[in-house]
Amino acid sequence: MAVIRDVMPAFELLQPTSTADALTLLGRYGSDAWILAGGLDSFDWLKDRIKRPRYVIDLSGIDELKGVRERNGGVEIGAMTTLTDVVRHPIVRDRYAILMDAAESAASPQIRNQGTIGGNVSQDTRCWYYRAGWSCYRAGGNICYADTPESINREHAILGADRCVAVNPSDTAPALIALDAEMVLRSASGDDRVVDAEDYFIGPGTDITRMTVLRPGELLTAIRIPGDWAGARFYFEKVRDRQVWDFPLVNVASAMVTSGETIQNMRLVVNAVAARPLRLVNVEQFVKGKPRNDQTADAAGEMAIEGAQPLRFNAYKVPLMRNLVKRAIRGVGEWATS
Amino acid sequence: MADTKYIGQNYTPPDLVAKVTGRARYAEDFRAEGMLFAKLLTSPMPHCRVRNIDASAALAMPGVKGILTADDLPDLGPNVERALTNEPFYAGEPILAVAAVDELTAAEAVEKINVDLEPLPFVVDPLDALRPGGPDARTTGNVWGAPMPGGVGPNAASPVKTIKWTGEQFADADEGRLPMGEPTEQWAYGDLDAGFGNAALVLDETMVVQSTGHHPMETRSAMAYWQNGKLYIHASTQSVAQTLPNVARWCGIMPQQVVLISEYTGGGFGSKGGGAVSTCIPAMLSKKLNGVPVMMRITREDENYIGRARTNMSGRTRIGFAKDGRITALDLFIVQDNGSYGPMGDHRSAGLAASIIYQPQAMRWRAISVLTNTPPRSQQRSPGPMQANGQRAKLTSAFIVEALDKGKQAFRWDERKAYSGQRRGAKVRGVGVAVGPHGSGSIGFDSLMTLRPDGKLYVQSGVGNLGTHSVMDLARVAAEVLAMPWEKVEVVWGDTGKGVPWSCLSVGSQTTHAMTRANFAGANDLKRKLQEIAAKDLGGSPDDYELSNERVHRKGAGGGLTYTQAAKRAIELGGKYDGHEVPEDINVMTKGAAAKHAGLGVMGVAKDNYPRNGTTYSFVIGFAEVEVDVETGKVTLIDYLGVGDVGTVINPRSLLAQIKGGSCLGIAHALQQKWVFDPKYGLMLSRRFHYSKPLTILDIPATMNADAVGLPDPETPVGARGVGEPPVGAGYGAVLNAIADAVGVDVFRRAPVTSDLVLMSLENKKRMHEPLRAHV
Amino acid sequence: MDQPDSPRSGVTRRAFIKGVIASGAVASSAAYLFRAGGEIFGQTSAPGSVERLITLNVNGQMRRVDVMKQETLAMTLRYKLGLTGTKIGCDRAECGACTVLIDDVPHYSCSVLTHTVRGRKVQTIEGLANGDQLHPVQQAIVDEQGFQCAFCMPGFTMAAVGFLKTNPNPTRQQLAHGISGNLCRCQDYDKILTAFMRGAEYMRRSS
Repeated sequence: MAVIRDVMPAFELLQPTSTADALTLLGRYGSDAWILAGGLDSFDWLKDRIKRPRYVIDLSGIDELKGVRERNGGVEIGAMTTLTDVVRHPIVRDRYAILMDAAESAASPQIRNQGTIGGNVSQDTRCWYYRAGWSCYRAGGNICYADTPESINREHAILGADRCVAVNPSDTAPALIALDAEMVLRSASGDDRVVDAEDYFIGPGTDITRMTVLRPGELLTAIRIPGDWAGARFYFEKVRDRQVWDFPLVNVASAMVTSGETIQNMRLVVNAVAARPLRLVNVEQFVKGKPRNDQTADAAGEMAIEGAQPLRFNAYKVPLMRNLVKRAIRGVGEWATS
Repeated sequence: MADTKYIGQNYTPPDLVAKVTGRARYAEDFRAEGMLFAKLLTSPMPHCRVRNIDASAALAMPGVKGILTADDLPDLGPNVERALTNEPFYAGEPILAVAAVDELTAAEAVEKINVDLEPLPFVVDPLDALRPGGPDARTTGNVWGAPMPGGVGPNAASPVKTIKWTGEQFADADEGRLPMGEPTEQWAYGDLDAGFGNAALVLDETMVVQSTGHHPMETRSAMAYWQNGKLYIHASTQSVAQTLPNVARWCGIMPQQVVLISEYTGGGFGSKGGGAVSTCIPAMLSKKLNGVPVMMRITREDENYIGRARTNMSGRTRIGFAKDGRITALDLFIVQDNGSYGPMGDHRSAGLAASIIYQPQAMRWRAISVLTNTPPRSQQRSPGPMQANGQRAKLTSAFIVEALDKGKQAFRWDERKAYSGQRRGAKVRGVGVAVGPHGSGSIGFDSLMTLRPDGKLYVQSGVGNLGTHSVMDLARVAAEVLAMPWEKVEVVWGDTGKGVPWSCLSVGSQTTHAMTRANFAGANDLKRKLQEIAAKDLGGSPDDYELSNERVHRKGAGGGLTYTQAAKRAIELGGKYDGHEVPEDINVMTKGAAAKHAGLGVMGVAKDNYPRNGTTYSFVIGFAEVEVDVETGKVTLIDYLGVGDVGTVINPRSLLAQIKGGSCLGIAHALQQKWVFDPKYGLMLSRRFHYSKPLTILDIPATMNADAVGLPDPETPVGARGVGEPPVGAGYGAVLNAIADAVGVDVFRRAPVTSDLVLMSLENKKRMHEPLRAHV
Repeated sequence: MDQPDSPRSGVTRRAFIKGVIASGAVASSAAYLFRAGGEIFGQTSAPGSVERLITLNVNGQMRRVDVMKQETLAMTLRYKLGLTGTKIGCDRAECGACTVLIDDVPHYSCSVLTHTVRGRKVQTIEGLANGDQLHPVQQAIVDEQGFQCAFCMPGFTMAAVGFLKTNPNPTRQQLAHGISGNLCRCQDYDKILTAFMRGAEYMRRSS
């Protein structure tokens, strides 16, 4: 059968207006259903005719999934809140600037106007073999096309690979983990749960076909950010080839509390180096109580990349990750404008 | 031309309001009653043979109207690319097309077709094809030989040959030195050995320049139908007059049977020079289906494959410098990835450009153009010279020194140079300059215009309308010669049914030079006729008459005729005056177009027969400042200036936009844009813009600068030359030189210079990147 | 939390219009035969699914149109409503040529399902001018001769108009960020910015 990578196949479109309705539909159609948030990731799969759901459940009509609300000294962000609304929200700007920076660095203005924070954290990997429909491990096959001696794998993983070497491409995910956020999941079966953002993401060792713990029949409804890290000393940096509409080669997000120039506490996350965002707990522990200086930063950088195993074309990610971790600790020197 | 009223002045092109309101119609914007939609079935393999096509299930689907295969297309001769094939030479090459009532049905029909394919050997890297025992891209060989006798032009017909190099010649390849086995072509001048012998410094370097897709915003969509034995085709092309015979050839009919409509073209950059061969698919489907309109919307996915790309070039340069910096000897060897069709000639242009850019006392050029199972190439804005930035011919003029001086001052070069290379924090700055040369003007084309009793001048324009505004600019010359108010000039373009003269290809910076000459000739022909008509009616000799205030009148304030009166008189006089008699030497297409306009007024019709001594070249000098982040490897362009030596400026705003836009194409090559294939499976990986990375508005400074010296070319009557290509090499070379200035010359030997490449080389204090592979 | 009309046990069911759609009611799609869709439409429509005949608010006009479930707004505009000013450059939310305003916010119409804009205001390049009176941003493009081939122009212009509605007085750099979701392959970015900066000025003056 010939392959054509164009024109979305027909599907039945379901447009619930409440979370309850959405869950009922999810329960009814199970794995035949596809959840549509902003749609930017979904349409790519559908137009390539690789994914062919019978039912598409469009969440855009569910107002209760949208908006930023104060909650227990922190905030709760509805999963269907657009990235633009996250970026513009005064609480996010004033207390969680790292999330603003991360969300603003994602994709392009139009995508941020439509793409949601729930979609941004739940999006699939952008490995160009997998996304082209090659029958790799992640697609249910038994090979990784990106990990052969000849593969072109500049964008792929240096850590945590297990058969699959794809990376998580999200910009908001590391920021949310740095802020110690929680993901609120609701289920058609009524088995609702709340998981730490850190645990929301999974590597191929856990499930090679999924990026998150989200099971069929489950819906990410909200993201909760505690007040603990509000107004901390934040650092977010995304290194990419193009300054708009590009995924990170590596990004870093950190929240730090200092006393004078001593680091009291820190959360530090790097993404696009593994199939899930990596929180660097050992580095966090190491820097606690240390002065915020070059020496600490250098040692932390080296510690961060322990165990890294580059592929043929992505060895640069090792020094890049090291240097971004250093910068998260000691900052970056800028040119004075001439 | 002295004391001009229009040349050198900004104006509002007459198509701008249609564009800005969305009324301008590009090929895919046309609709027709009962229109069908076509979709392509493309090859999943980089090289294979079609053994059998079973479309029975597809044809049985409701709404499916028919299919078209290679067997339905005319044979275009050996080695010539056709729109459909039974032996795909690259993955993504169209095998057949399906027409159905809508796109969804057509797509589902494609999925129901079983194509039995026999896999054949393939190769996507040119060096792999040259290795001993390496695979050939075609069953008939792996390289294009030198052009056959009588072959002309950049794509002159050549034979396919088989050439393999020895293992010994590949010995240094792993260390990044380009192997140099048997070339297919070469030339040399001067004493190379003496040049190297006298040199104070000799360098031997290898540089790899990637292919990139042209990716005009408008894909090569087309819609076609037949009426009364004539083909009406709405297509996207850079050149209207020159595409007409191509469409006829692709469809196996006579040019007189084709009406081509292409009023607006959404960019081409060399990929739609003489149209796109795929254009004939809806035409031939329609023919098979009794003329019913067929729309073929080419998707971006299709465009990745059939949309053309720049050739890849790996060059090895041995270069000798005297103490004063003068180049005593240059020995250049180029391995070109020609792609699956062609033959391409970029490697030849690159050799010529290198001789112009570097002015070596002695030079040798050797090259080989290798066939690979990658999508077909075509010339891309500055084909060859950009890659060389890296002829011995008399040039018509060159004011490079003036341009350099102007740019150096405007760019504050000395000031910036003072701090380049110094590290501050993680950042280090560098400045670079480069000259982009390009052949910029063909000659010998036709002009056609009529001055009618309504008092208006109708200028027929046979070039394409792809946004350079040259399609309109060339009428400014006629307005100038005929002292015609611009408001009374109507440019007629984009529809061969309206009659257009034989015009140049709108490629390679040709149009401004070629068509200002032609229209200067045509307008002067019309002027002479006006003078003759006046002399006939009012006495005296034609030379006693001049033109002003829409009148032809005796010099000074004497009597004369209004243009309206003269136009009426021309119609009464007939013969040559109203176009019933035309010059012998004009092209048959111009004769046909003139016949459509005969009797409408005074006709200006002429071939450009002006002499020219030398080869016409335009130049742009690029000045760039970059900032390199040594901790991330990221290169940021801080400032850019392009200064052109392109002859007389016709339309300043368009010219400066060409310099900036063209420079941006080169900047993208230097910094980010790529084209990637998996070598093992021979399939394209960079199928999306976020993988291939064309330049965005945030990858350049918010303000860019451009200027031109504006000195006329003495070898062309209007003094103007083309500008499309030269800025590309200028932008590319200036940025690469600036990066080298910032972080040292040894960091990279391939482009684009992405952060991975810079960071790894700095980290390891030696070049670490993939040395020779073409598409990574 | 449940809405009164959506009990958890059931699903709000929209009336499903059956039968032949009167051809006169379907805007300008009469010339094209759009099939009912894929094979799954042989069945009865699923509960909760949407009807196909919908009313869209486009450029201030209410347009009745028959839309497939998977149809994108760009295709509806171009092939059913005759609004070909909106261009499809990539169809993958990467180039911006298809940008339109939905409730004044720029979106890639190639990546919006038409069924999701029911009850919302869609504005395309054709709806920008007021008769022969160009929108200030359009006038600025004419005055500055913005753009070259102009295939990206409609989308770029809608992106700029949308951005300027919320950022009427941007710096050149801020404007560049605001319209950075659009590609121009002529790479006439410098002149585009100049034109839109002038457009911002005209808009401020006219408001």
